[in-house]
Amino acid sequence: MSSARRLAFAAALLLPGASEGATPRDALVMAWNLDALITLDPAQIGEVNGNDIIVGNVCTPLVQYDPKDTTRVIPAAAESWTTSPDGLTITFTLRGDLKFPDGSVATAADAAWSMQRAVLLGYGNSANLTQWGFTKDNVQQTIRAQGDRTVVVTLEKPYPASLILAAAFSGNVAVILDRAAAEKVSKTLDGKSDMGNAAFKTGPVCVGPYRVTRWDANDVVVLERNDSFYGPKSNLRRVLIRHVPESSAERLLLEKGDIDVARLLTTDDLKALEANKDIRIEQTVVQGMSYVAINTTDPVLANPKVREAFRYLIDYDGLAKTILPYQGVPRASLVPDGAYGALDRTAGQPFKLDIDKAKQLLTEAGYPDGFTKKLILSANSISPNIAQHIAFNAAKVGIKLELEQMADANLFTRGRNREFELQLVGWYTNYPDADAMVSRHAVNPDKRAEAKLTMYPVWRTGWQDLSINDQAEKARMEPDPAKRIADYHAIQEFMMHNGPVVYIYQNIRPIAVRTAVKDFEISPFFVNYGSASK
Amino acid sequence: MNGLWSMARQAGSVLTTLLGLLALTFFIGRMLPTDPVLAIIGQQADQAAYDMVYHQLGLDRPLPVQFALYLRDMLTGDFGNALFTGHRVADDLARAFPATIELASLAILIGIGLGVPLGVLAAVHRGTWFDHVTRVVGLVGYSSPTFWLGLMGLIVLYAMLGWVGGPGRLDVAFMDSIPPHTGLLLVDALWEGDAEVFWNAVSHIVLPGSILGYASMAYISRMTRSFMLEQLAQEYIIAARAKGMSRWAVIRRHAFRNILVQLVTVIALAYAFLLEGAVLTETVFAWPGFGRYLTAGLLAGDMNAVLACVLIVGVVFIGLNLATDRLYHVLDPRTR
Repeated sequence: MSSARRLAFAAALLLPGASEGATPRDALVMAWNLDALITLDPAQIGEVNGNDIIVGNVCTPLVQYDPKDTTRVIPAAAESWTTSPDGLTITFTLRGDLKFPDGSVATAADAAWSMQRAVLLGYGNSANLTQWGFTKDNVQQTIRAQGDRTVVVTLEKPYPASLILAAAFSGNVAVILDRAAAEKVSKTLDGKSDMGNAAFKTGPVCVGPYRVTRWDANDVVVLERNDSFYGPKSNLRRVLIRHVPESSAERLLLEKGDIDVARLLTTDDLKALEANKDIRIEQTVVQGMSYVAINTTDPVLANPKVREAFRYLIDYDGLAKTILPYQGVPRASLVPDGAYGALDRTAGQPFKLDIDKAKQLLTEAGYPDGFTKKLILSANSISPNIAQHIAFNAAKVGIKLELEQMADANLFTRGRNREFELQLVGWYTNYPDADAMVSRHAVNPDKRAEAKLTMYPVWRTGWQDLSINDQAEKARMEPDPAKRIADYHAIQEFMMHNGPVVYIYQNIRPIAVRTAVKDFEISPFFVNYGSASK
Repeated sequence: MNGLWSMARQAGSVLTTLLGLLALTFFIGRMLPTDPVLAIIGQQADQAAYDMVYHQLGLDRPLPVQFALYLRDMLTGDFGNALFTGHRVADDLARAFPATIELASLAILIGIGLGVPLGVLAAVHRGTWFDHVTRVVGLVGYSSPTFWLGLMGLIVLYAMLGWVGGPGRLDVAFMDSIPPHTGLLLVDALWEGDAEVFWNAVSHIVLPGSILGYASMAYISRMTRSFMLEQLAQEYIIAARAKGMSRWAVIRRHAFRNILVQLVTVIALAYAFLLEGAVLTETVFAWPGFGRYLTAGLLAGDMNAVLACVLIVGVVFIGLNLATDRLYHVLDPRTR
């Protein structure tokens, strides 16, 4: 240090400056609880944070949902597509101006490889492709590049185009990763290449509006604008997502203007912010359901009348007024509102708290004095409040519910291992079509414990109805839209009264935004960071 | 020769303690009901994906083999990847531990700087209003939840008065403005000669540091008072006074000197507990520290992260114990 600089530094040290107070004009600063974020590799992301940050913001998929009507898909990295007359081949034509952040051209070979990679790596996300017949053995033949801009996909069955486009090609497995960059950083595990997974976990190289420049676990994720991106350039050069795991702290930061967006606010904090004219609260009903799963391998809970009784123990109206504001909308159907084929709001929630009816059902089932069961739940969010609500009503008919709170990791492990009697948990779908829930929450190909179909929540409950399996397959393949919707309505009606799950509410995603942030586009499947301006 | 033998014995004892600590943590950790595989593959994965990752993590091997492999990697400096962050554990800890060291060090400095004089004065003025006030202040500091104190502090000093920075270690505007030499922001800012960053970091650390320091102060002042009272009741104090020494000379040269060994033990323990990380304070202040890292690792069943943290906690406790042993020799010639 020169002596002049030393002097200036000494003077500055004696004169502490005031804190900046406002966020930088060219940055969007967001606070969120990033505890669950364990990877940014689109082939591996399995939770809300990762999908929100990566899909659409860092990695643009081939197609995306129309933000104004999420039952429609619109072009994204693919500028167009055609379906063969037999419905077995989809041909995507990619845009001609796709580039990675370093300016190198992204080709159809990168796109095909990225999708093959998701299947070959085999993480949970691969189900977005494998459930449509793509396997580790066939994916290199069924998804392939033709020239620089054409990706040809061969299907095993003629699925309705709208369904397969939404389900398989709009999300985290249908993005375009830089194959050359991935291969440079690949590692070998058990004699097999990890296809860049270890390196891409902390920042994938993708075609998208932003690129990840930093992720310090439990601290911050930083995105920088990708100036090679084909789309309109956001006027926000950076996006900073700070890990703030406490709602009150987030609220203070937002009120002071030290963040622009708060993503983890409790109902009380959101209510308190309503009066603040510098802040607006955006509530989006998303494609996620919260529910009580009932283990039907338990002899008492196997009785359909017992399960039906639980449905009358939920005070949907009361919940809507007390616990659910900003958090959810009461709903008893397994298909979330807004999905293609969903029952409307009235038909999808026909139950009311009815203690007498519940008592009558229990008596008919042979349990007039009730029984004792354990309900396991997450210690986070509003789960404890919901559980107490159910336990309170259950006690009125003699059912003693013992509540056991636990960390999410334990809760999911217990669910997958069928180690529960009743479990309060949630599930998000990847595409707004009734098939998304029906194919996992109603269809159970094999209920035996040794089948270990752990990825089917309905398998975890031990419940199976072979006719529902057939109906679901018929609905999935039905080419006539009206018939398809009718089929799904019938399945929902049946499941609402006979299924192994008591659905309670459809999730709301509340986002509090400072009014200085304009044009922030928020839709159920995409929070478009680049759309915001200041 | 005796010195060498003693050092070798001490090193052997340290290594055995650390090994025992790791083994205990490892085997207890493997008995926890949390499944680390699910964190990696996600809820929607099928059984094949589960089996693949289970195998990759080496969980299908016998427990002693898993432990031996872990030790082998650890000895080469490889603590593995943290499953719940996706990063290398060593990289995570290189960020989290300095954040906690900075906070804990400020807190212990406040604790010592206020706690020791208050404890001495309270003992000397036993039964007076000063003693009562000190004890009440100490009791409040000792019994108030730091989570609540933190929130109240943020509401008043950050949100209402704007005297301190908000949650986090720096304002967003200063992020990435200095390279991380030590990970201690205050030190790095001085290193780079960046006064703006330095003062911004001070504005952010002062509140959580003071809250933790308050709790330490409460503990240290209570213990100091009690040690001093014990000494002041000794006959040698009366003898010294009878010889004509002034009151404060007796307190300073005799009573206080005699409590130093106990005081150093108390301070070392307080510092060690602070270095373990204060989860609740770190949560309220969005402080990316060690305590939250360890807790999140435990909740996710991430044994790579937990074992490395336990090793650090073990090293901190053993290191501080050894340092206090050395200080005993300096402070009390009878222990040499």
